[in-house]
Amino acid sequence: MRSETDPALRSRRRAVVAYYMVDRVRNGRYATLTQAARDSGATHLELGFPFSDPIADGPILQEAADRALRHGTHWNDLRSAIRETSPILPTIVMSYANPLWTRGLARSFADLRDAGAGGVIVPDLSLEEAGPWRRTARCNGLDLILLAAPGSRLARIAALARASRGFLYLVSRYGTTGRGAISRPEDLAPLVRSAHAAAPDLPVFVGFGIRDRATALRAMGSGADGVIVASALESALARNPSTPTVARVLRPIASAVRAGGI
Amino acid sequence: MRSRYGPYGGAFVPETLVPALEELEGTWRAARSDPVFRRELARYSRDLGGRPTPLYHAEHLSRRAGGAEIWLKREDLLHGGAHKFNNALGQGLLARRMGKLRLIAETGAGQHGVATAMIGAALGLQTEIYMGEVDMQRQRPNVLRMRLLGAEVHPVRSGQRTLKDAINAALRDWIAHVRTTHYLLGSAVGPHPFPSIVADFQSVIGQEILREARRRWGRPPDLAVACVGGGSNAIGTFHPLLRTRTELLGVEAGGPRGHPTGAASLARGRPGILHGTYSYVLQDRDGEIRDTASISAGLDYAGVGPEHAFLKDSGRARYMAVHDSDALRAFRWLSIDEGIIPALEPSHAIYAAVREARRRPASHRIVVTLSGRGDKDLEVAGRALGD
Repeated sequence: MRSETDPALRSRRRAVVAYYMVDRVRNGRYATLTQAARDSGATHLELGFPFSDPIADGPILQEAADRALRHGTHWNDLRSAIRETSPILPTIVMSYANPLWTRGLARSFADLRDAGAGGVIVPDLSLEEAGPWRRTARCNGLDLILLAAPGSRLARIAALARASRGFLYLVSRYGTTGRGAISRPEDLAPLVRSAHAAAPDLPVFVGFGIRDRATALRAMGSGADGVIVASALESALARNPSTPTVARVLRPIASAVRAGGI
Repeated sequence: MRSRYGPYGGAFVPETLVPALEELEGTWRAARSDPVFRRELARYSRDLGGRPTPLYHAEHLSRRAGGAEIWLKREDLLHGGAHKFNNALGQGLLARRMGKLRLIAETGAGQHGVATAMIGAALGLQTEIYMGEVDMQRQRPNVLRMRLLGAEVHPVRSGQRTLKDAINAALRDWIAHVRTTHYLLGSAVGPHPFPSIVADFQSVIGQEILREARRRWGRPPDLAVACVGGGSNAIGTFHPLLRTRTELLGVEAGGPRGHPTGAASLARGRPGILHGTYSYVLQDRDGEIRDTASISAGLDYAGVGPEHAFLKDSGRARYMAVHDSDALRAFRWLSIDEGIIPALEPSHAIYAAVREARRRPASHRIVVTLSGRGDKDLEVAGRALGD
């Protein structure tokens, strides 16, 4: 299966996905921040589109979304951000279901693809509801990236891995995004193995709570192919949206991802 | 079990919640055909709840309207003072059956929080309630009741600090503690199977209306009226009447006059995905959920149950919005005419029922579900009425 996010993903090269929120006050800075992420070892960029009711998110990303909406962030800001970032790093969009649905899935996905995005993550989209989303994404040349979680049965993990494109997003623990402990590597390992067995070419990235070298090593200890760094980067950028901030957060994680793993 | 109502419904949730929703559906399927469960539900409903509730002819209110007879389904007399008991009891028993010893719930007006706290105490389950800070201020008596009943009340300070934000907070708690905790969702909203389960447990309202109507009049009522926030008392009223010829009218909160949306999702929203379900939603062009406004905390919600969306589109039920000021008038009418102080939520339905009665013949019988009593609203209503 061809991946739109990044053809090299099929080799299951180790990956670091850097996430930050699209926010109107950051317009014009996305290229600089993304270049800094690449220079610090990021292999992909995930752009968050703010939603008023982000139920899968902890306080850091909730506040980031509130701020972005207060600043008047709109769909067009997302499109222009993707145009800036996608020449630098393969770019994936994270959006809750409603903003994509309400615009019309076909139109939303065409917009994202035309701007240069390779994939889309929808944290409140279950496998059961994903059918039309997967078809429309495929028609528009976008990867629909599904999420798996610690409570998912192994058979379900396999089904999720077969249905996901680009990569499988493995949630690290019971909980929302942000601070807090992640599951032990030995608890995540069976999930990763199950996904790899069902879809050998599909990488598995672990997200939620990855914030430093230790958490990245722990995640990679499960046999995963990469990590996603969201709240840690977003909260650092909220304080100081600069190139050194990006490097400070991402460098230790990127080196751990290269060193760790099984 | 129905997961879709036409195009509406479904389960748009983070993967972490999927196993818990499957477990809940399985448990309910097994429980509803289990005579032991049914007996226990019936016993608590009768001996703790006070079911069945009466159907009362509001003669003076009918006279004020001039026209059809108005009858009240007295859910305000249920234990805790609202219909919320029916669903809290049912889901509390399901939680115990699943071995989940901790209950969490959202609450707007506080009635569902009180009902959950009562059931938590009665069944020996730890109970924590999420409530928007604004609602905690405007429904203070219920906060005190919940605490007295042994529940912990968590103030929610995000967003508009009302019902929608309380649901967000409860969902996030559930995601983190899903293995040990049951989310006792209080309205006919949320992901499948919640809308079905809530409708099932609330259908006792409509069943009793139908039974009593047949006994007294030999036929179902001509019109049933209920207020709609998420829509649990309305769906419970409507469900058993769907196969009769009774007209169904749902009444949403129109908010202050001149407010662009109030909280009337069906009247002024369009289809979208909120809190795990596809239904009518008050939203802007980008799909961001809009702020709502209503004098009644229990109706102050940007979404609505998916079955109501389907009933609206199919034309089987009608929906209208009533402004704050008209709900307040009805609040006063029922108090003065009948000696019954209604909650602000069903006051919207009372107003609509009076309007309907006016243009109908004296032979018509209108049943309004009086979903709760107004003790909690004395401060807000008193201020609004200038007392």
